[in-house]
This record gives sequence, C-alpha cells and structure tokens, in this order.
Amino acid sequence: MTQTERSAYLVIAILAVLVLAPMGGLLSLGRLPGFEPQDLQFWQSTYIRRVVFFSLWQALLSALFSVVPAILVARAFAFNGDFPFRSLLLRLFGLPLVVPSVVAVMGIVSVYGSDGWIPLGRSLYGLNGILLAHVFFNLPLAVRLLLPLWQGIPRHHWELAEQMDFSGWHRWRHLEWPALREGLPGVMLLVFMLCLTSFAVVLTLGGGPKSTTLEVAIYQSLRFDFDPVQAVILALLQLSLCLLVAVVILKMQKLPEVEISIASPASESRNYRNPLNSLVILVAGIYVGLPLASLLIDALSGPMAQVVANQYIWQSAGKTLMLGLGAAGLSVMAGWFLLGASSQLANRGQLRRARLVEISGSIIYVVPPLVLGTGTFVLLSDYIDVFSWVYPIVIIINAMMGLPFVIRTLGPAMRQNQMRYQNLCSSLALSGWNRFIFIDWPLLRRSIGLSAALVAALAMGDLGVIALFGTPNTATLPLLIYQQLGAYLIPQATATALLLLGLCLLVFWVIERYIGGKADA
Amino acid sequence: MLEIGALRYQFPGADPEIMQFDLSVAAGEVLSLIGPSGSGKSTLLNLIAGFLKPDSGHIHVDGEAIEHLPIAQRPVTIVFQQHNLFPHLDLYTNVALGVDPSLKLSTEQDQLIEDALESLALSGLEKRKPGELSGGQRQRIALARVLVRERKVLLLDEAFAALGPAQREELIVLVKALVERKKMAALLVSHQPRDALIASDRTAFVQNGRIIALQPTRQLLEETDLVEVRSYLGSL
Repeated sequence: MTQTERSAYLVIAILAVLVLAPMGGLLSLGRLPGFEPQDLQFWQSTYIRRVVFFSLWQALLSALFSVVPAILVARAFAFNGDFPFRSLLLRLFGLPLVVPSVVAVMGIVSVYGSDGWIPLGRSLYGLNGILLAHVFFNLPLAVRLLLPLWQGIPRHHWELAEQMDFSGWHRWRHLEWPALREGLPGVMLLVFMLCLTSFAVVLTLGGGPKSTTLEVAIYQSLRFDFDPVQAVILALLQLSLCLLVAVVILKMQKLPEVEISIASPASESRNYRNPLNSLVILVAGIYVGLPLASLLIDALSGPMAQVVANQYIWQSAGKTLMLGLGAAGLSVMAGWFLLGASSQLANRGQLRRARLVEISGSIIYVVPPLVLGTGTFVLLSDYIDVFSWVYPIVIIINAMMGLPFVIRTLGPAMRQNQMRYQNLCSSLALSGWNRFIFIDWPLLRRSIGLSAALVAALAMGDLGVIALFGTPNTATLPLLIYQQLGAYLIPQATATALLLLGLCLLVFWVIERYIGGKADA
Repeated sequence: MLEIGALRYQFPGADPEIMQFDLSVAAGEVLSLIGPSGSGKSTLLNLIAGFLKPDSGHIHVDGEAIEHLPIAQRPVTIVFQQHNLFPHLDLYTNVALGVDPSLKLSTEQDQLIEDALESLALSGLEKRKPGELSGGQRQRIALARVLVRERKVLLLDEAFAALGPAQREELIVLVKALVERKKMAALLVSHQPRDALIASDRTAFVQNGRIIALQPTRQLLEETDLVEVRSYLGSL
C-alpha cells in the first residue's frame, strides 16, 4: 500500500466518523429529553405530512420549471453558433454556481419584491418565490448539463439528415430526442435532489408553515421550538428521501458530464437559424441576469456607503473569508488523497475499489449538511457548548460539501496525469515531495486552483450549517443578511448581499489566478 | 546478461490463460518481440520493469535476481511510445530527472547530461519544451535519458511506432549502436517486421502469452513454416 493510499484510507475513516457519529446521534432518539414512544408515529402528525408533501411538491415543480425550459435554451444554444454574446451568456449561466443562495434571493426580492421592477407583492413569499429562486439556480445548471447532449450527436448524423432533407421535426425525432432521452432523467433527478435539500432559499422566501420544507422544519425545530425530538424525526425522514433519490440516480448512471467552471464551456454548434431560438436565449439570459443587475443597481443606490463603513460588517466578512479558505484547504487536501489513491488503484486494475474510494468523497449528496448538523448538534450538545465550536463544525461540514466539487474538477486531470506518468515516475524514482513539486503541482495547479476557488466561494456563501450553529457574535455575511432580512432592513440586506457577492467573486478570481496560474497543463 | 525463466503471470480477473515467458538476451544485443496486439509483448516488458508483479519465475540480470526489487532499483530503463517527457519541463530537466529526481546535480552529473545531449545531436535545445520539438526529437531526448541513467537493460515499448519510416529507421540504428557501445541488453517491441530486421539478429514471436518462436530475424520473417507467424505477417 502506497503512502497516498494510506492517507486516503485515513480520510475515508475520518469521513466515516464524521458521518456515522452524527447518524448515531440521530438514531439515539430514545434518550432525548421529551421523547415519547408515540413520537415515532410521525405520519399521524398533520404538520409533518404537510412538510413532507411540500418538500416533494416544490422540488418536483422546481425540477420541471428548470429542466423543461432548459431543453429549449440548450437547443437554442446548440443551434445558434453565431448568436451575439453567446460565449458571454454561457459564462453568465455558470455564475449561479458561485453566487450565494442568499445573494440570489436578494436579487429576486429586488426584481419581484414589493418595490421591485416586476412587483409580485406578498405572493413572492411562499411557493412562487421558492420556484423563482430555484429556477434561477437550476435552469442554467440544466442548460450546461444538457448542451453536451446535442454536441454528442455525431457530425455525420447531421450531414445525413441534411442529405435526406429532414425537417425540423424529423431532426428532433430521429437525432435530438434519442440523444436527449439518455441524459434527461438524470438531469431531472439531480435538480430534484438539489431542490429537495435546498435550505437558504426556502428559509428566506418560504412563507410560514404552509411553505416549509423538511430542511427548514429541522432548523425551526432546533432553533425556535427547541424540540430536538421533532428535529431528529424530520432529519431521519429527509435522510431517507435523499437516500432513495441517490440510489435511483446511481442506478441510472446516465448523468452527462459537465466541466464545473464559470468559464464558458467549449461548445461546437450547428447553425439552424430560427428567430424563436434567439428569443429563447434572450429571455433566459434576462431571467438569469436581471436579479444580479437589479441587486447591483439597488445596492449602489441604497445605503452601500453606510454598510461599507460598518465595522461589524467587516468583522463578519473576515469570518466569512476564514471559513471559506479553511473549508477550501481542507476539502482540496482530502480530495487530493482520495483521488490520488483512486487513480493508483485504477492504474493497478482495481477498478471497483478505485470507484469506491472516489465515491466516498460524495457522501454529502446522501447526507445533507443540515441532517449532518442536526446529528452533530444532538450528539455533542450534552458534552460541549456547540455554539462555541461553530467555526470548526462549519469548516468541516463545508469542506465535506465541497468535496464532490473537488472530485469532479480535479479528478479527470489527476486520472490523466496518473495514467500518463505513473510508470515513468516509478521508473525514475520520482515520488513524494519531488514528484509533487516537479510533476504534479505544475501539471495540476490549474485544476487545484479551480477546485479551491469553487469550494471557497461555496463555503463563503453557505447559509445552512452556520444558521444552525451561528449566533449574532459569530455571524458570517450570509447569516447577517438573513438577520437583516428578518428585521425588514431590505436596503441594508441588499447592500450586504452585493458585498458578499463581490467578496466571493474576488476570492474566486484571486485563488484561480494565483494558485491556478497559467493553463500550462 | 538478461535471463528470464518460467516467468508466469495472469491478469487479475482474466480467464484462466496464464502467460509464461522464457528467454535470454546477451549484452550488446537488441532482441525484437513481434506478435499480434494483446499477445503479451508489453506485459513482458512491464514484468521486467516491475510495473506488474509476476506470479512466479525469475528475472536475472548478470546472474542477480531482480524480480523482487522495487521499480526504481531495477537495472532497467524503459522508453514508451508516448508520454516519455513531462510537457512543462524543458529538455535539460527532463533528462536530468533521470540522474537525480531531486535535481540536485553535481558538476560531473551536469557534464554527463551535456555529453548525452551532444551525442544525440540535441545540443542547443536544452531550454526547449517538448511541445516545441518534433516526434523524433522527443524520442531522442528519451534516449538521452537512457544514456545518463546507465542501466543494463533497455526496454523499448513501441517507442518509435508514432514516427514516420525514415525517422524510425534512423532512431533504431541509433539505438542499436548505443546498445552495442554500452553493452546493454535491449528488448524492442514493435508491430513492424522491418524494425526487427534493422534492429535485431534474433527475433521472438509472441502469441497468447507465450514465445512460440525465437529465431534469427531473417529466418523468422522470411523462411518460417509456422502458421501463426505466416498468418500474422500476412495480416499486416
């Protein structure tokens, strides 16, 4: 067993403890104060039934409203190679990946709120607002996942279709739909899963008990109702739902690959000009761009100067930065060992074990952060003051949340490196530090930089675990924005949101530029 | 010099077919290995280099067993078809890594590298990156590294397959001279019978994980009665 493999198994052991210990906390429901055996008959509770139904319903609608239009938008992109600003628009569609949920929410409030450009009034809060925000995040993601399906259709098939004088309908029926059918269910389920575990959007835009999901109900049980028994029951329900969806996704294994980046994806396109396609791209571009533009305008014309002069805001910004960088460092390090071991095992033909090592890094898909946080809360609250351990807990859980991104971003480059140079390095006795400095770092620094930048931006924008464990004294910028929203300080929240967005983009750029360096690999 | 006896290997999870090799290569000799794809030629090289571990059998170099040695400690150097060079490092550093992986070179080692580059007509290109060179020049750099590593066994795994006929012939002649001069034992895997004719006095034909013929090259390629060899040569 190599040093890298030993380190990877240590990472897996730590991950197992971090996941299993909180699960133990959840399963020790019986020892919680206030537990009654009839609590287990949760299906008799109207409240829990309603929360479960709403969780599934909003996730289903969000998935439909994101993916169905995304088919039209991806198709329009695939057929409009010379659409003006095509590359810029595709880049804009990568932006929601690093825009914190709470910032997007502020953008949506800024457009559709009572004082917004398209006012929806009170009806923004509830299912409408949740759907608007979920579509803002997931329509661009679905477009970037679906676009490669069109690009995967062989060039000769298009040429044959032209030769045989296929109409638009025939092209769709014989070329496009068969390609799309392969990847569509996977994309749909992925978006469904993301919306099922969405927390910040529902917390900020959900309208009371009628529009509460399991994630938000867990948070409310712990932080407002002080009812850990109900929180644990809800967490176990959420865990079961996520497990179910994850198993279906794994069984399908048809999820198309997409390069995770805010850069414009490499895309070949065909030119079947149709004004309707241009209109579709334009509308989607406006939908995604408008909240960000509106946020920018509202923030700059609001109390931005007052917010920037506030020392408390900068203290929060410092904490946000610390959590982001801490999570990024931890996540990239763990991902490095897991991927290194996985590549070495794959190189030796142990493919099953290699896959298992890699998959272990994506455990957070099955165990949502809030479920993990609830387990940690229940497990540790008897022994320590969990609120004073907020930073380590938030860094570790955010690092775990970032690990799947590290694996997706760094994995392909590491596997290629291993495949090309492992034998050569072995024969030249290049290992350990020498190998890292002379070979791996120069060849992989771009992917390492991108992974670290992504995890840092995601962790900085997180309003999940920090909401569970944070206090006014330990508030990060996202939590501060949530507190400002709760106090109806909308202009201040908008300005703080712009500051957070700027900080996330700056950190992303600095890390990608200075760690990632030039694209020399 | 290189002695391989009853060297057995079975791919994990593969059908029960077990590969077994027996052969010897003298100092200063280039022995060619030809045969269909998947016949086991590269597997044999990987077993000698240590990338694969044999199930049983022995590999001796100058009478000393090497099959239990770690990869880097074996008196073996290998040139692959591609990815012999690190694309981000200049030519000089690529060669120097063969001398000392920590790149802390003495004056003598510096001189050794300079000499190797000069003998392969690569002087003046030290600061170039592999991407700026032709395929033939890149393989020359790999050969320069072979020179500075000073190992007794040289393995060439389709090392020149990506080159045009003229460049291939030129490099094979170079390798042959190098092997004779340095008294190395070399194994050349190739799909081109003509490579064997240029490089080797003796050639082995490998099929289904066994050496089924080991004869003087011209005899094997032009006069053999073996159906397998004739069928293979006819299919090219």
